[in-house]
Amino acid sequence: MSTRAFLFTAAISVFLFSTRIFATDDAEKTARQALATAILAPEADQAALVEKLAATPHPALGPTLEGWQREQVFVFTDEDGQRIPFLKVEETSTVRLLRVDNGQPLVNKAGSPISFDPSLKAVETYSKLRRAIKSTTDLLALGDESPSVRQNAVLKLGLKQSPATLPVLEARLENEPDQRVKETIWDSIALVNLNSPNPELKVAALQRLGQSASVPAKDAITRIASDSTQTPETLQAAKVALKSIDKHIFWVDFFGTIFRGVSLGSVLLVVALGLAITFGLMGVINMAHGEIMIVGGYATFVVQCVFGTGLAFAPFGISMNIPGFGFDPASAIYQSYFLVALPIAFLSAAAAGFLLEKSVIQFLYRRPLESLLATWGASLVMQQLFRLTFGPANVPVASPAWITGSFSVEGVLMNYNRVFVIVFAGLIVVGTSLLLSKTPLGLLIRAVMQDRTMAACMGVPTRKVNTLTFAFGSGLAGLAGAFLSQIGNIGPSTGQTYIVDAFMVVVLGGVGNLIGTVISALGIGTLDQILQTTLRNPVIGKVLVLVGIILFLQWKPSGIFSTKSRNLEEGN
Amino acid sequence: MTKKSLCTLFVSALAATFAPTLTAADKDTVKVGVLHSLSGTMAISETSLRDVLMFAFDEINAKGGVLGKKIEPVVVDGASNWPLFAEKAKQLLEVDKVAVTFGCWTSVSRKSVLPVFEKDNGLLFYPVQYEGEEESQNVIYTAEAVNQQAIPAVDYLLADGKKKFYLIGTDYVYPQTTNLVLLEYLLSKGIPIENIGGGLRKDAEGKVISAGKYTPFGHTDYQQIVAEIKQFAASGDACVINTINGDSNVPFFKEFAASGLTAADCPVASLSLSEDEFRSLPTKDLVGHLGCWAYFMSIDSKQNDKFKKDFFAWLETSTVPGIEKANRVTCSPMVLSYDGVYLWKAAVEKAGSFDVDKVRKVLQSGTITFEGPNGLNTVEKNNHTKKNVYIGETKADGQFKIVKEFSQVYPQPWLKGTFGSK
Repeated sequence: MSTRAFLFTAAISVFLFSTRIFATDDAEKTARQALATAILAPEADQAALVEKLAATPHPALGPTLEGWQREQVFVFTDEDGQRIPFLKVEETSTVRLLRVDNGQPLVNKAGSPISFDPSLKAVETYSKLRRAIKSTTDLLALGDESPSVRQNAVLKLGLKQSPATLPVLEARLENEPDQRVKETIWDSIALVNLNSPNPELKVAALQRLGQSASVPAKDAITRIASDSTQTPETLQAAKVALKSIDKHIFWVDFFGTIFRGVSLGSVLLVVALGLAITFGLMGVINMAHGEIMIVGGYATFVVQCVFGTGLAFAPFGISMNIPGFGFDPASAIYQSYFLVALPIAFLSAAAAGFLLEKSVIQFLYRRPLESLLATWGASLVMQQLFRLTFGPANVPVASPAWITGSFSVEGVLMNYNRVFVIVFAGLIVVGTSLLLSKTPLGLLIRAVMQDRTMAACMGVPTRKVNTLTFAFGSGLAGLAGAFLSQIGNIGPSTGQTYIVDAFMVVVLGGVGNLIGTVISALGIGTLDQILQTTLRNPVIGKVLVLVGIILFLQWKPSGIFSTKSRNLEEGN
Repeated sequence: MTKKSLCTLFVSALAATFAPTLTAADKDTVKVGVLHSLSGTMAISETSLRDVLMFAFDEINAKGGVLGKKIEPVVVDGASNWPLFAEKAKQLLEVDKVAVTFGCWTSVSRKSVLPVFEKDNGLLFYPVQYEGEEESQNVIYTAEAVNQQAIPAVDYLLADGKKKFYLIGTDYVYPQTTNLVLLEYLLSKGIPIENIGGGLRKDAEGKVISAGKYTPFGHTDYQQIVAEIKQFAASGDACVINTINGDSNVPFFKEFAASGLTAADCPVASLSLSEDEFRSLPTKDLVGHLGCWAYFMSIDSKQNDKFKKDFFAWLETSTVPGIEKANRVTCSPMVLSYDGVYLWKAAVEKAGSFDVDKVRKVLQSGTITFEGPNGLNTVEKNNHTKKNVYIGETKADGQFKIVKEFSQVYPQPWLKGTFGSK
């Protein structure tokens, strides 16, 4: 395509002469004005105009182009009816409005800054336009400050496999300071050379891609390997390269699966830890555990709303309105709502647990079957309360920016929220075990749980300890609910999804044993993910895990770790 | 919101509330059935359809009714319980003797009432996108057939230069059937089978019986699947066809966005997410991804503006017990329900009778049309409707920006095996 060839020659000239052109104000002015024209143009012409911009990709256009994609570009009509496009830049405490055509703040005739009119609608984008914007920003990204952005941009150019990109890539190679980006540029050049008519270049390219185990190149190499018109040397080289890439994929999948297993295990652990206290230590079969968890989830939702625009709801038909602070969603203070939500989720769930213990469970400590039925009833009551308060539809909780996104280690992708849950689970396990083993309260709890009657004889206020322990276990469940709100929506029956998993983990781990709970949660999580990868089916994996647990419990009825006891009734 | 949930308590009272006001003019009314889940898991979606039907009845009654008779709605609750749907249908047809019924959302509820409508010769208008492979004489499908939703979505992606398709859905009849049809269609378009992601399951004879990745209702752990999609999309030109239902979309899209996949690199075309579902989804994770329906709230037309204005005004003053008034939107299943009422009215007026056989004969003549909020609807001989199909890109405010319109697509319910693969 001639336009494309033109585009790339233009791009090379920019990169060859590098920063010198960028430095001139004229170039920036021309580029900015061209972009402003594109924004104001009729929708049908916009994409073509933006593509033209790529001929002189000036770095000053970057923020506006990205803002356009994120619907942050608006048009201001001044007193004379002149239409001025501007970019809305949201900073932690202020909002700046910058004119697209000269980068200066938007001012009125008198020269005083104009504040943002919320009724304005962003200049719309559509997929063709967005692709044009993207290819322009991709070219800009080649000169970006961040190496990872450059790396991505280089790879995208390579995947086009068009010989026209070679000069751009080679020019970039000369100016590139970062070794890893250089490697990717070599990969991209090899990708382009895969289509080369010269068989030697082709074989060299295949060897290069095999050595670097480039996953993006796999499809292209597979095509070559299955093309019988290629020379035998090429076919051989393609086979070797594929083998090396497949090996790399195997290891990425392997470590990725372990990581995902540990993260799923951590979710299970967080969910089960509260139950390990109330069921494991205290022996209360609490069917309302899931609902207590969701109390924590709703608490997180309420805190989020209070940090934002407030919350209107109507329990039992009485309209209530909690005013919000109205923090800007992009601001650091709003982003920290989750840290505030954690203690509130703990406390509100602990309060719910306290009420449940006082009203139902304290009468049923020696009657496990009745407590099962009574807490089942309590769970239904709580679900209906959620429905009456927050409505039947599930409520969404937005994740703060600092636990969204991911990073990758040698191709293994790790999401921040998954890393967060692993650390989070570790912290609360350590905290709980310290509380149980190192504090006077922990001593009392252990005493009462081991032998309620004897502890009472020794003067331990068993009722109080029971209530406190149950409230503590419920508080842990509340933390789990806060975390679950980061994975999915919170609804009246969300707790039901997790209650079976929670019991499974505690029973498998061995009732009354914290370490057992940790090991069984991580074990179930990892096994589930391994089976999911090998069987390529999320359902059968889960079924097999369940079957495995049943068989295991046949063999060791008291779980992985059984508590040694001389109690005749428990009879281990 | 509370009021919405309260509606579950008032369901039984609902019919009673309407009956006394209308029985005064008993001879001048015609009974019409409304059969939706007003409680249980489907209530969130189906209650909106009940609302829009009540609105349509009020609108028609205010203008003199049908053939001079006021519409008297008989609202029953299927309670998201499929056998109960059949019982309620039986009650509507045999006890209340309704002239027509508007109802059902899930395919399984439709399959459950089908024998009842066929035995008692009733007439059902069905408004929600479905998998096709059905054509009952007692059902008018105002819904999108597969060639009016999934196929146009794929056409759009193919035209966009996509070469790799990953299929993912919730494990039940609609996604499974739709993906099998899509598999045949993609193969017929020259997409090699290794470029269709999600996995294939074959029976003993090597025939593909299931294509794509399936998760159960309420699934929350999409790590492994998204990692697979990430690898699948690494070499570019990939997209995802998503038929995941309900809240599982939240963890899916959160995971998808967190792994660094974007709508620009790998768009997701969702076939079960409309404006109504967006009310409880994190739309910022969905911006730029695609939807495909016969109607979007953002359609710019006189009919749509009037429909939205009148419907929201009606909601304000509505006395339907438990109706939700805040933050309401309109979506395709709602509008196709609304269209159904007017198509039935037009057919009855043309036939000059409420008799099911006479009305059906007129409907199948291919002359019954209604210019609705979504454009022109025509009932065709195969009991499905011809209508416009739109592709939209999700915006941050939970609305769609329409990027493509397929004008007047003829409905084809029988698609399996019709594409000769290359």
